[in-house]
Amino acid sequence: MDLLSVLKNAELFEGVTPYELDALTKICQQRTYNAGDVIAAQGDVGNELFVICDGFVEVLHSDSPSDPSPRAVVNLGQGQIFGEMALVDRGPRSATVRAISKETIVQVIKRDDFEELCEENHHLGYIVMRNIAADLSFKLRHQHLTSQ
Amino acid sequence: MPANFKVSYVVRGEDHPGAIVNTDQRPLVGDRVMLGEREFTVLEVIDLIPPRGDFHYLHVTVQQTED
Repeated sequence: MDLLSVLKNAELFEGVTPYELDALTKICQQRTYNAGDVIAAQGDVGNELFVICDGFVEVLHSDSPSDPSPRAVVNLGQGQIFGEMALVDRGPRSATVRAISKETIVQVIKRDDFEELCEENHHLGYIVMRNIAADLSFKLRHQHLTSQ
Repeated sequence: MPANFKVSYVVRGEDHPGAIVNTDQRPLVGDRVMLGEREFTVLEVIDLIPPRGDFHYLHVTVQQTED
């Protein structure tokens, strides 16, 4: 699947114009991970947002840095994003994200590139920020459902 | 543009964190889905929140497929 099709199917970009989507493709960088690879580590400084194109990742949370058995919070598949919290609030990574598929392909967007694009185009910035908020809301709803 | 379904999969009967996945087809009861390396069977499908744009938001309960 080409990059444009991948981005069209990600909720993060729902509502952006074709021109804006094209601008977003220019700041995306593709990476591929193997099962077991750590993509982001809890506590690390993060300045990248990830969009899953193919495969699955698991999100793990530790209660403390010395916690020997982190808890799986959710698995994320095609079209999902992660790393958005650190992108928005500039805090440390809130969880560890590990690839669990043999070949997990993600698109990476760097914060500086993303913020520059949002400053240049406020409509794009509003749409994507709204969609990040909606995605966080959906993740909370999922967590509520799994803990029932 | 075809619809997109953003699905919250909740696994019944075991301690599993579930999964969130986009799909271009609405899951149906009895369907088999792969979440990571494991296969599950769909037990229930509910609209979680109203659709927005091309996206529909579903809550799907699944359990491990037994062959």
